[in-house]
Amino acid sequence: MSNPGQDLSTQLAVDIQGVGKRFKRNVDRRNSIKERIVRGRSRKPEDFWAVRDVSLQIPKGSVYGLIGHNGSGKSTLLKMIGGIYRPTEGSITTDGRVASLIELGAGFHPEMTGRENISLNGSILGMPKKEIAAVTGEIIEFSGLGDFINDPVKHYSSGMYVRLGFSVAVHMKPDVLLIDEVLAVGDEEFQRKCFDHLYALRRSGRTIIVVSHGLGQLEGLCDEIAWLEHGQMQEFGAPTTTIASYLRKVNSQEAARYPEVTAVRAEGEEARPGDQTLRVRTAAIVDTAGNPLNHTETGSTFQFRIGFTTSEPVLGPNVRIALQHESGPLVTMIGNHRLGFDLGTVSGDNVFDVALVDNPLLPGRYRVHIDVFDFTGSRLLDSWNDAVEFAVRSQSGEIGQGFVQLPAQFRLG
Amino acid sequence: MLTDLYRQRALIGAFANRDFATRYRSSILGWAWSLIQPLAILVVFAAVFSLVFRIQAPDLGNGEGSSYAAFLFTGLVTWNLFAGLLNLSMTQLKSNGELLKKVQFPAWAPILGASIVQLIQVLLELAVLIVMFLWLGNVGWTWVLAIPILVGTALFAQGIGLVLSIINARFGDVMYIVAVVLSALYFLTPVLYPISMVDGQNELLSLVVKLNPMSWYVESMHEVMYSLVAPPALVIAALLVGGFLTFWAGLAIFNRGSEDIGELL
Repeated sequence: MSNPGQDLSTQLAVDIQGVGKRFKRNVDRRNSIKERIVRGRSRKPEDFWAVRDVSLQIPKGSVYGLIGHNGSGKSTLLKMIGGIYRPTEGSITTDGRVASLIELGAGFHPEMTGRENISLNGSILGMPKKEIAAVTGEIIEFSGLGDFINDPVKHYSSGMYVRLGFSVAVHMKPDVLLIDEVLAVGDEEFQRKCFDHLYALRRSGRTIIVVSHGLGQLEGLCDEIAWLEHGQMQEFGAPTTTIASYLRKVNSQEAARYPEVTAVRAEGEEARPGDQTLRVRTAAIVDTAGNPLNHTETGSTFQFRIGFTTSEPVLGPNVRIALQHESGPLVTMIGNHRLGFDLGTVSGDNVFDVALVDNPLLPGRYRVHIDVFDFTGSRLLDSWNDAVEFAVRSQSGEIGQGFVQLPAQFRLG
Repeated sequence: MLTDLYRQRALIGAFANRDFATRYRSSILGWAWSLIQPLAILVVFAAVFSLVFRIQAPDLGNGEGSSYAAFLFTGLVTWNLFAGLLNLSMTQLKSNGELLKKVQFPAWAPILGASIVQLIQVLLELAVLIVMFLWLGNVGWTWVLAIPILVGTALFAQGIGLVLSIINARFGDVMYIVAVVLSALYFLTPVLYPISMVDGQNELLSLVVKLNPMSWYVESMHEVMYSLVAPPALVIAALLVGGFLTFWAGLAIFNRGSEDIGELL
């Protein structure tokens, strides 16, 4: 695989040439001497290749992402770059000090204070004593632990623990930083700090290699992304295109596997807030023709179909649909009154169809909460939390940032 | 190979520091335990073996009678140095497994770090031994020879410990086998009794005791510390060089065996 766009004189931080890693299956490992004696040497060890024929040139100062399914060999590759595993075949050349952020605080000793652990962890990551002393203040500041730094880490909360671990690892000033699934640690504020720091590291010419399932995060952070599948390189290149091909594969696989699952839900008879003169019975995601969907795509029109029954005629109900992103935030609330739709008097068994034209929601999972008020908006008729949940997939493969794609238009001049 | 050890001294120091700081951190008496333990054993053993089994220690070097307790403790300090380093080294790879699986660094660093802390413990015991001999007025220039003997013992134990740690990472049984062998070896080393007692006994037994390298280390310690007699220079040199070669070979084997340590653990 060659990359014609790349200047050959570019200095490489990591040069991976035809690398493969073979593991012996754990089932057949002779782990005790008795087994060795009784059963002899492994008859025919069942080997499998976790990584095979992978070649990759990672230029200095770039941020490189590795994506793929669980068990696709991303972490094995990362461990080989970090020198923890030796490749069975091929070669890996790295230029400069490599630090792994493979598990935050892996070297922390519970009985030691945060400060003592900083210096221990620094030594393990290969940093000279002087340098550790020089950045200790910065690490404590960055971790935001304050006076807790002098407490044994066994008293830390899990959040404090990972914050300290992350702070130590990113301040080791490695030439190559390896990150495995530990991008999102701590609260919102700390996460932002982490990303700022990673960008700063990149600006200072350090190379970062990231393994993550957070495709959105990777798209924003990486210069290039490689997609591994069953230990082999599928594709590499610009983040958007690689992620797009990856998602196309995932989407088609999922659709093939679960053709019957649709985002429809019928309620039970549980008690809910509201006087129940109008009760929502079903909630579903349907296409414009009314066929149930299992997911929808960004940019394509779909409908919420809300079935209900009334115990008496209801005048001009106010139906509100709240959409909550899987990560927690409320994305928006759609209400017929605010949008100027009057449903008139409703009675009996019927449905509301709420069309979301050119669905602006970005890929992700969304939960739907339905509230129905009377025409004054002051009397609650029904409130159904988590009525239904649905997924939005990417049409183009682009993930985007945030939750929605606003209908913006760009023009020059 | 040995220059690697020097280059990584900061890392070894960091592990030693960790083990030193945490060894007795959650106990109230702390480092006092490192003396209470061997002293308690000394009192019990001295009572049992001198009063019940009536083992007679040889005469002190100063010619003023004998002291079984001092004789026993001389042997115990040497034995504890050997067995302590061996046992501690053997389990280090497993107890640092999480770290070794995630970060790349020389796998012998935590082992040597732990050993340094064990050496501090031995030095404390040695200080008590010296106080004991001062009390008995049993002092001589031959004490200086204890330095090469103990250095030899430590290197010997560390060499074996490094090899055992690698085998133990592969086969969990090794720990238990070593425990059995060590306790047998303990009785086959003249710690509890003077080596003269095996003379004229069962020939095989006598041969085993005399071929046991630990007998040489312990017996030499008895000579220089207790009897105040200098062993032949060749013996001292052999103990030191033998220890060094064991260490060197152990480290070489360890380096070969620990290449895939990240996967083994």
